[in-house]
Amino acid sequence: MLADQPEPDPVGDVVPFPEPIPDDRLRLLFTCCHPALAREARIALALRVICGVSVARIARAFLVAEPAMYQRLTRAKAKIKAANIPFETPPSREWQFRVGTVLETLETALAIAYRNAAGTGETGGLAPEVERLAVLLAELMPQEAEAHGLLALVCLVRSREAARVDREGTMVPLSGQDVAQWDIARIEAGRTALDRATAIGKPGPLQVQAAIHLVHCLRRETGQTDWAAILRLYDVLTLMRPTPVVAVNRALALARATSAEEGLAALDAIETGRLTQFLPFHAVRADLLASLGKVGEARAEYDAALALDPEPAEARLLAARRDALGS
Amino acid sequence: MQYMLLIHEDESAYMGENGAAVMEATLAGHMKLAEEWHAAGVAFSGNRLKGADTATTIRYENGGEGTLHDGPFAESHEELGGYYIVEAADLDEAVRWARKIPIPGKGSVEVRPVWQD
Repeated sequence: MLADQPEPDPVGDVVPFPEPIPDDRLRLLFTCCHPALAREARIALALRVICGVSVARIARAFLVAEPAMYQRLTRAKAKIKAANIPFETPPSREWQFRVGTVLETLETALAIAYRNAAGTGETGGLAPEVERLAVLLAELMPQEAEAHGLLALVCLVRSREAARVDREGTMVPLSGQDVAQWDIARIEAGRTALDRATAIGKPGPLQVQAAIHLVHCLRRETGQTDWAAILRLYDVLTLMRPTPVVAVNRALALARATSAEEGLAALDAIETGRLTQFLPFHAVRADLLASLGKVGEARAEYDAALALDPEPAEARLLAARRDALGS
Repeated sequence: MQYMLLIHEDESAYMGENGAAVMEATLAGHMKLAEEWHAAGVAFSGNRLKGADTATTIRYENGGEGTLHDGPFAESHEELGGYYIVEAADLDEAVRWARKIPIPGKGSVEVRPVWQD
């Protein structure tokens, strides 16, 4: 009977209708990224719940001490309880307020995974999981340019996986990698995703990072790295995200595009602060000092990098470079 | 669970040429919200406050007696203009109601759970 038919959605803005996110983990990710929680706490909670990343690794990713990260998580959990924040899948109209943090969470997870060149151990499963979730997210929110940007980034980063460690399990730096071992299919998937993102016309830091990786991947075709292009992309990224971490990566690009002296000067001009906890800061500084023949300072920087508990493959590379310094 | 919705708004929005019209529209928004709460059977209370220039603050440095000061507790362009206390199932529901509070121009609505044993 017609009269028994339900009314056509008169309360759609108050009653959460089930709009299924097609995956348990992605659902949890959106749940954790409640905007009433502090940004870093949301991401930490999401990483903890979804990817099982240890608090120590999360703390390192945010360049804070482990107890401080514990405290943030504790505070977030206390607020969830005290303010009665509902921990459930948000309705689709809420997604737009959460997708930014969801993307940041996956980006952070990818950064943690990337530190582990060998792809084994506790964080070994992280990169494939980030890729899987990035695929789902791009399908779920096809108008979100940065979702495609993330997918592009993860594809391009993962395209080099097979080339990132040698037979002895030592990390091979990007410049020394055998391009024949790069995965063409992933590079193409990354390029396609980046094209899709660009077509939407909303640039963002994930797209710029993907573009940087794409330039690196072009070495497979051209035989060389266009550092000037990479430097320009880092300049764009710096405008979007003026953080010390970006500044360190930009300094390395500057060194390659111009000279080690200029790179080192840029590196030393960065406000250090939390950066002393950022392993690439020491690793990049060590490499630049070594190339300038400043052996003693380079050794001290390699030691500083090694003290920050790198993953085994990177630790072997750093130790080998330190030991090759001579005196 | 009860939540307090603290309404901070820029009082200057009600001054100037269109001030009276802005005030009228804002008050109409509050009336509409109150009607919604009545219709939905939601328990609420609330009040509008007089202007921040009528505020007096007792300031304490280290406990003790405190000293009286003219003006609100914080010098800013967003003054506490009123509040509601509303019953809501969880924070999301409280935020949904809070979003319906009319704010002309710059302002904010702070949503705080009320202490309940």
